[in-house]
Amino acid sequence: MSENFDAIIVGMGSTGGILAEQLTKAGLKVLGLDKGQDYTEEDFAIKQDEIRYYQRGAIVAGVNVDPVTWRGSEGETARILPWSAGALGNDEPLYGLPSIGTGGGTLHWGAAAYRFREADFRMKSAIAERFGTQALPEGSTLEDWPISYADLEPYYDRVEYEQGISGLGNTGGVIPPGGNPFEPPRSRDYPMPPVTQGPGDVPFVAATKRLGLHPFRQPLAINSQEYKGRPACVNCGFCHGYPCHVKAKSTTQVTSVPAAKATGNLDLRPLSRVLRINRTADGKRATGVSYLDSTGTYREATADKVILTAYSLENVRLLLLSDINSNGQVGQHFMTHNFGWFTSILPEPTNPFLGTFNASSAVDDFTSELVPDNDLGVLWGSPIISVVGDLQPIEAYHNMDPRTRKWGLDLKHWLRDNYTHMHRMYSQTTNFPYARHYADLDPTVKDRWGQPALRITHDWDDHDANSVILMGRYKEKIAREMGAKDYWMDSPRPPYHLSTHDVGVHRMGEDPATSVTDIYGEVHECEGLYAIGGGGFVSYGGYNPNQTIQALAYFSAEHMLKKMGVNGADMGLVRAS
Amino acid sequence: MASKFVLDFPLTFLNPEEAAVIDALAAHIIPSEPGSPGAREAGVTEYIDKALGGFLRELQPVYRSGLIALADFTAGITEGRFHELSDGQQEEVVRQLAELSERDPSDFAGQFFRIVREHTVQGFFGDPAYGGNRGLVGWELVGFPGAQWGYTAEQMAPDFNTRTIPMLTIKDLYSRIGGAQ
Repeated sequence: MSENFDAIIVGMGSTGGILAEQLTKAGLKVLGLDKGQDYTEEDFAIKQDEIRYYQRGAIVAGVNVDPVTWRGSEGETARILPWSAGALGNDEPLYGLPSIGTGGGTLHWGAAAYRFREADFRMKSAIAERFGTQALPEGSTLEDWPISYADLEPYYDRVEYEQGISGLGNTGGVIPPGGNPFEPPRSRDYPMPPVTQGPGDVPFVAATKRLGLHPFRQPLAINSQEYKGRPACVNCGFCHGYPCHVKAKSTTQVTSVPAAKATGNLDLRPLSRVLRINRTADGKRATGVSYLDSTGTYREATADKVILTAYSLENVRLLLLSDINSNGQVGQHFMTHNFGWFTSILPEPTNPFLGTFNASSAVDDFTSELVPDNDLGVLWGSPIISVVGDLQPIEAYHNMDPRTRKWGLDLKHWLRDNYTHMHRMYSQTTNFPYARHYADLDPTVKDRWGQPALRITHDWDDHDANSVILMGRYKEKIAREMGAKDYWMDSPRPPYHLSTHDVGVHRMGEDPATSVTDIYGEVHECEGLYAIGGGGFVSYGGYNPNQTIQALAYFSAEHMLKKMGVNGADMGLVRAS
Repeated sequence: MASKFVLDFPLTFLNPEEAAVIDALAAHIIPSEPGSPGAREAGVTEYIDKALGGFLRELQPVYRSGLIALADFTAGITEGRFHELSDGQQEEVVRQLAELSERDPSDFAGQFFRIVREHTVQGFFGDPAYGGNRGLVGWELVGFPGAQWGYTAEQMAPDFNTRTIPMLTIKDLYSRIGGAQ
């Protein structure tokens, strides 16, 4: 026996929450399935606990439950994420799969809310115009996006106003103090000013200004004032990697999912694990899903629309488990972020436990197409971001000077003398897609339900390492200008190959032979089946992915409703709240 | 360090001798000094024992094998059981073990050292709800105010002395919202 719905949404996170809100408000009956729990306010009443969330990854599934394997190249045997599955008993939330349950990745995120730049959507052409058509590394499968920044601008705007983003926007050619002169054009300012700045950001701003750079306050999905019934951030300093105890951080757990529930049209079933997508006998149309409910009972549900919003990698796993990959494109073009962590010890106290990770500034002087000519062959740049909050003592220990002996009085005194003076910078460097970097099903490793694990094949390319080195030079200049007593940088080829910023694996495109979905996320080979999220990205610059992921969610929702002829598809009816 | 391990908490996994060995090792990872407590005073061993009896139960066999590996490693350097050696002898064993751990990441005794080190840091700096960080000595050492509901803009200003903020624990926050008094 199977139940019928208008749409089934797999994953109630960043994308799925938005789809659920849009479709239920338009009157569709939606089944929402999530393998995590349906979190309530009570769950996060007190969360200021570094052991529980940072060390033990309380809001992620963890590789014991959802194994992912990795290998550097074909021919090697993939192992369960060696950088996070060690005997240390750590399951740090930042280098594996993102948090699950209502809110998904927006539970743990650092809430950096960047739009991509205009040039990011035409990276391949822009690189060819500047550096020549032969400049891209061999084997790159880079393409331009089939949509432009202008296409997405109205949807970025909707994310900013519906999900609640704080920042300083340039509107009408006017750059406010602390605004970003390199920001892409926007139709209006952010709905809120930036959150309270952390003290460690003050020397970063002063130093970058002296160096002739243009520091700006980062756009964040964190309330700086009451917004849509949610309070302002209280600067608790347990934000990145943690859920929010006051609902000031924008997560679909407190924005879109409650709105969808309020319609009465969302049947949300937590702790439900989708096993496969069901199709008509000819495979050309989605009919529903098979899943295990919270008691482990096998169930089937049918719907006209099946929408995968379970994170890029889990979307791929579900497609492959369902034998949906007739053109071989599913799982291809894997891209992730290399953070290039750079830590400094500043003369003045930075008190890095104050406020959120990104209560700070960044410079876009070297981002994307603005990358200076360089001797390292770096073709696309990235922002340099100052990190000032959310650093608790155990994480500080993990970030300590690698030259210091890590036991005895050396360890103890280092932390005693330096913890409150630590400042960090990072850049997220461009990761080009290659045919040799992909996600597929592991031939041997299975999860506890007998389903194959996803396998990642990826290694850091010379361009990745050189990008980190180039950005490291700029970070070093900034650190010296800040008067840093000491500084050190992460390896240009770090051990991790997942970053919770993993994208590109169900590429969007107009040609069904070379992409998985159309621009709205509908899978070319299967009508009524959608895969939406970062998996649709065609290229990947240096900004955090979530703003673009959520813009695509609104873009897709609007299209679905228009296609169905649902009244109010111009979203006038859902804009008000 | 002159202090001695005192078993002042009920064990949930380790036996008393194992607890003494772990405590001696932890006490060399974060040592005590006059006026500045270390892992021993912070109750790191209680943290580790409670963790092994619960969340970290999959590491139970790793700890049991690790204690044997540590005993073997010690026997290669000097006579006597690790926790009964002099302070200087223990430090020499730890020095060689730490070097081995850097030199050969695949060596099991060295891996065990890194695991105990990680858990020592957790027990020293984690919330006292987990059995360590007694008297908040870890937070006091580095100047971390602990589990705060939030900070004001004034407290976030560059010249504010955050040492004046009273340290709070998860328990304190629960009592604020009407539970765990």
